[in-house]
Amino acid sequence: MNKDILREFAIRFGFILLAGLLVLFFSFFASGFAGPRSAVFIFQSVAITGILALGVTCTLVVDGFDLSIGSVATSALMLSAYMMVVLEQSAFVAVMACLLMGAVVGLVNGLLIVKMRVPDLLATLGMMFLLIGLQRIPTEGRSISTGMRLPGGQVADGTFAEGFLWLGRHRIDLFLEKLIPVPVIIFLFISVLIWVFLEKTRHGRLMYAIGSNERAAALAGTNVFGYKILAYMISGITASIGGILLAARLGRGDIASGNNLLLDSVAAALIGFAVLGAAKPNAFGTAIGALFVGILLQGLTMMNAPYYTQDFVKGAVLVVALIFTFALSSRVRGGNH
Amino acid sequence: MKQIKVKVISLIGFTLSAFGLATTSFAADMPAPFDNAGDVKIALVRFLSTGDFFQAYLGGVESQAEALGVDLRVFDSRQDAALQADMVDQAITLGVDGIIIQHGLTESMKDAAQRAVEAGIKVVAFDVNVENTSIPQVEQSDYLLGKLALEQALKDNGNTFKAGYVYVPGIAPLDRRNVAWEETLAANSGIEEAAVFGTLDNPIANSIANQARSVLQANPDITVMFAPYDEFAKGVKIAVDEAGLTDQVDIYSADVSTADISAMLEPGSAWVATVATNPAVVGEVSVRSLAIMLAGGDPGASVIVPPTLITQSFLSEQGIKNMGDLGAKMPQFQHADVAMTDWMPLPAR
Repeated sequence: MNKDILREFAIRFGFILLAGLLVLFFSFFASGFAGPRSAVFIFQSVAITGILALGVTCTLVVDGFDLSIGSVATSALMLSAYMMVVLEQSAFVAVMACLLMGAVVGLVNGLLIVKMRVPDLLATLGMMFLLIGLQRIPTEGRSISTGMRLPGGQVADGTFAEGFLWLGRHRIDLFLEKLIPVPVIIFLFISVLIWVFLEKTRHGRLMYAIGSNERAAALAGTNVFGYKILAYMISGITASIGGILLAARLGRGDIASGNNLLLDSVAAALIGFAVLGAAKPNAFGTAIGALFVGILLQGLTMMNAPYYTQDFVKGAVLVVALIFTFALSSRVRGGNH
Repeated sequence: MKQIKVKVISLIGFTLSAFGLATTSFAADMPAPFDNAGDVKIALVRFLSTGDFFQAYLGGVESQAEALGVDLRVFDSRQDAALQADMVDQAITLGVDGIIIQHGLTESMKDAAQRAVEAGIKVVAFDVNVENTSIPQVEQSDYLLGKLALEQALKDNGNTFKAGYVYVPGIAPLDRRNVAWEETLAANSGIEEAAVFGTLDNPIANSIANQARSVLQANPDITVMFAPYDEFAKGVKIAVDEAGLTDQVDIYSADVSTADISAMLEPGSAWVATVATNPAVVGEVSVRSLAIMLAGGDPGASVIVPPTLITQSFLSEQGIKNMGDLGAKMPQFQHADVAMTDWMPLPAR
């Protein structure tokens, strides 16, 4: 019996405990790690992948998957730059265009999956390639920055609007001057929003129901198609928010495939399964998962660990998290039944 | 796989470029085969294409090809080494007269380049060693890029300072720039290498910014950052600004673009100097070297385009805002007098 309690405890709090120990370890061995600014840095470095990961979480909840988020984010990056630098639109128009683009991509993903019956991985894989190509067409594959030469020969005169850059660069005073960057606040806000939506509303619970047994949920009268499409739209919109923040931080439209964003955020969502022994996709876990990776990378960089250790460490964390989720949890459950 | 067919501008209907100033220096008599330049087909086979540098390089190749009046085909393998080798074979099948190989891996390109040579095609290679004596190497001197930037760092900061260094081993140009860094470290015992970091995760500037911020947090007394690639420098600059160390840290980098110039000119920018070869000029030199070979000449086994130091103060004093201004105020940046002949037409400026 005692053993069971111990295992239950390990599954429930093991991951959070591990994160706590890591923080302690780095505080002692990496100079400058402990402190409010350092903590904020960690949040900032995971804000964008974290936001993407929250979107993926929604699609995981309905037993789907969205491979297109990385490319949606980089498309939003290019689109916002294109709107402001080439078309000389305001920050508001640029942001709205990106959100709309994200929503439309999510809608198309959802329709492909529920109406055309394309398997989720394949539909979103197709969308991923489509977007990687599409984002390069308007500029013939060039990066966008003020003063760039357009395909037609003229020079782009627009600049990134101040209000837009504010989204990625402004820091809000909290006890210390210029402490918390806007992306971190947006990340926390979206985390809470998605957490409330998934855990506390009827809609969220229905989405979990669809994820665990689609047929049963349909028989109980749930609008399965509607909720699935909704999940992909949320994912598309959060990914475009990530892209907007990325553009605001970089201040230019750099072409990139966004594959690293995709992998990092999927890893965060999967690590989230292990947090509090949830063994299922959940918003709180996703946010913690993203932070966990952020803490590790920040600490390692501070200790001068070479760059190639980063991917290795991410992989190791993911594997350990998956063991927590699948091996340990299922054993306990098996014992209880 | 993308093939852009660049329009051949006919000798008669040459339109003035939007920039004004245009007088084309068509040399009166170009030797064969350029007396019938429209029939000359050349191919550019690229390994790397994303980023300002490669865009500008392509621009240079295009404008020099246009000045010569030849038919240019562009093959872009987008960092797929196997595809790049296939593209060389495609170009051979297409019956091109000359090929420019732009970057790539020695292992994958060596055989493909040899096949092209055997097919009677003239080949030049830019920034990739294909181990073939009949293929001239066009290079920007990466070692000199690093060296000039570091000399400026020593001039500005003395020879005792704490430095951060951005480096990813295994990337040929970065490895060559690294030689200059190691030499400087060895020659100046007062320089302390507090941190070495780096990544090529896309988007590079964002990933570097995250790392650099951690490094600055751990070593708040760093005063010099050597980031010998402009994407690195952009990331470091974001981190320096975010950490509020703009006044304390100086960033020295390599390469330049319009976006880089505006970053260097931001009020109080920490990015104080960069060393660059104009990528467009490197592109032009690549085409000219190939043209010399097609006309039966020899550009030499190695064609080196010399780099130029560009400081923040020079930019602001001269009121330089973009690459166009830079070329106008710095003639050595606009045109490199390498791979030239008396008949060679130059692109309109």
